[in-house]
Amino acid sequence: MSAFLKKEWMELCRTGRLMILLLVFTLFGIMNPALAKLTPWLMETLSESLADTGLVTTSVNVDAMTSWAQFYKNIPVGLIIFILISSGSFTAEYQKGTLIPVVTKGLSRRKIVLAKAWMIFAAWTALYWICFGITYGYNAYFWDNGIAYHLFLAAALTWLFGMWAIALLVFFSAVSRSSTQVLLGVGGASMGVYLLSMFPKLSAFLPVKLMDGMSLLQGQNNPGDYFISIAAVGLMICLSMVLAVVFFDRKRL
Amino acid sequence: MEMLTLSHIAKRFGEKQVLRDVSFSVPEHTVFGFVGQNGAGKTTAMKLILGLLTSDSGEITVNGMRVHYGNTQTNRFVGYLPDVPEFYSYMTPAEYLRFCGKITGMPSKEIKGRCEELLRLVGLEKEDRRIKGFSRGMKQRLGIAQALFGRPKLLICDEPTSALDPAGRKELLDILVNAKEQTTVLFSTHILSDVEHICDEIAFLHDGRIVLQGSLEEVRKIKTTAAAELELERLEDSQTLSSVFPHLKSIGRNTLLLEDAGNLPDILYYLGDKRIPVLRIERQEASLEELFMEVVGK
Repeated sequence: MSAFLKKEWMELCRTGRLMILLLVFTLFGIMNPALAKLTPWLMETLSESLADTGLVTTSVNVDAMTSWAQFYKNIPVGLIIFILISSGSFTAEYQKGTLIPVVTKGLSRRKIVLAKAWMIFAAWTALYWICFGITYGYNAYFWDNGIAYHLFLAAALTWLFGMWAIALLVFFSAVSRSSTQVLLGVGGASMGVYLLSMFPKLSAFLPVKLMDGMSLLQGQNNPGDYFISIAAVGLMICLSMVLAVVFFDRKRL
Repeated sequence: MEMLTLSHIAKRFGEKQVLRDVSFSVPEHTVFGFVGQNGAGKTTAMKLILGLLTSDSGEITVNGMRVHYGNTQTNRFVGYLPDVPEFYSYMTPAEYLRFCGKITGMPSKEIKGRCEELLRLVGLEKEDRRIKGFSRGMKQRLGIAQALFGRPKLLICDEPTSALDPAGRKELLDILVNAKEQTTVLFSTHILSDVEHICDEIAFLHDGRIVLQGSLEEVRKIKTTAAAELELERLEDSQTLSSVFPHLKSIGRNTLLLEDAGNLPDILYYLGDKRIPVLRIERQEASLEELFMEVVGK
């Protein structure tokens, strides 16, 4: 399995995927505080033209919270880019037939799925926390992170949502043939979960709840409010992985 | 011992019955040629042996162990060269072979030696470009190297010579012949001269069935009553001869074909009696090509 992991790592580096992702997540990390920092200045330059239209701007108060709000607004876009780039991890190999020499050498299919999944999970984890770390650093430098409650827990919840989406990606990669099908599967499932979360009774069980980190930062929610959805997501991740292994064992390569 | 046996294998894809009741076996240390037209079902049969497809009925064993679809243990004994081999394009050939060595669980000291040995064998030892820029022939060479890497007991090659130039083809056939000492080779082809050069046994696959099977000599013997060709010096003699022996066919200016060589003594007697000058009398060898055409009904 370590040989296959090494191959996955080589693929990530040499195909330039890691470079792109690193760039995107670093950029997001810097953009969050930068946008917050620029907001007063933007408002000021716009205030004259706004005044002409009858809008009166007052002085805007910017703090770490503004920057964290940006973080939670931007990270879903980061996740979407991550999923898009990772969607071909399995399917590109099916289409080229590069797994056939590997499987016919007797490497167990289980190891292939697990190595691939492990690499995607690890990449998401590293990139996510790099983005978080950069925003955290700037925020601490410009303002004070102390005003936010449960800062790390809230961030971990959003990270977990990403892990859920990746587990789905692995599952759909094991059952479908093209990256389009994988994206439709992951997109469809996420959309379904969003629609279901419109029902207040259901929302506590759904992964979407985890994306609501801001309420935790602002102290509107308690950590206890998230336990059910954490457990549900954990279960879904395990289930997706088990199903992925089962389907991949029977997959025609 | 039989290295590979297929018994009563059938496979259909939707409406199309690709294989029907295919049975054959390959003894150890032989080169087995699997001959058939394009689309005859050769690749399907090979994929069944590798557990890459499920058979609808029948049983396959490799080295005495039954093949299962999906995760099959038997693949540990097998080296496989696909018809259009594809490898990770961002690796160099040496890196790819090292990767192959590691997934087969070979100790790293051995991997290094085996890598150099095989790259030399297939003529890629100086190639440190990535596989991305390789031609099909070069990929085929790397393909044979990776297939042989784990010293498999059974080497399966799907049309290994089809992408190669004449020199490359000769080299590859030599590699396969030399491999026979350590392994058993099953290779598919539609190039019959390859079969004649290196195979011990052959099977003709047509329309999903094995239509002819046996050692090269046995198969050749099937068509013993080969024809004879007569070339005469003068045109008028050939015309007289064909009027006396109406079953002679004219196939050239002064050339006649005798399909049933059993009548040859009568004709020779007649030629001697009439003192007709003859340029050439030649017995035709039954070629695999003719045999193949005959069994596929063309």
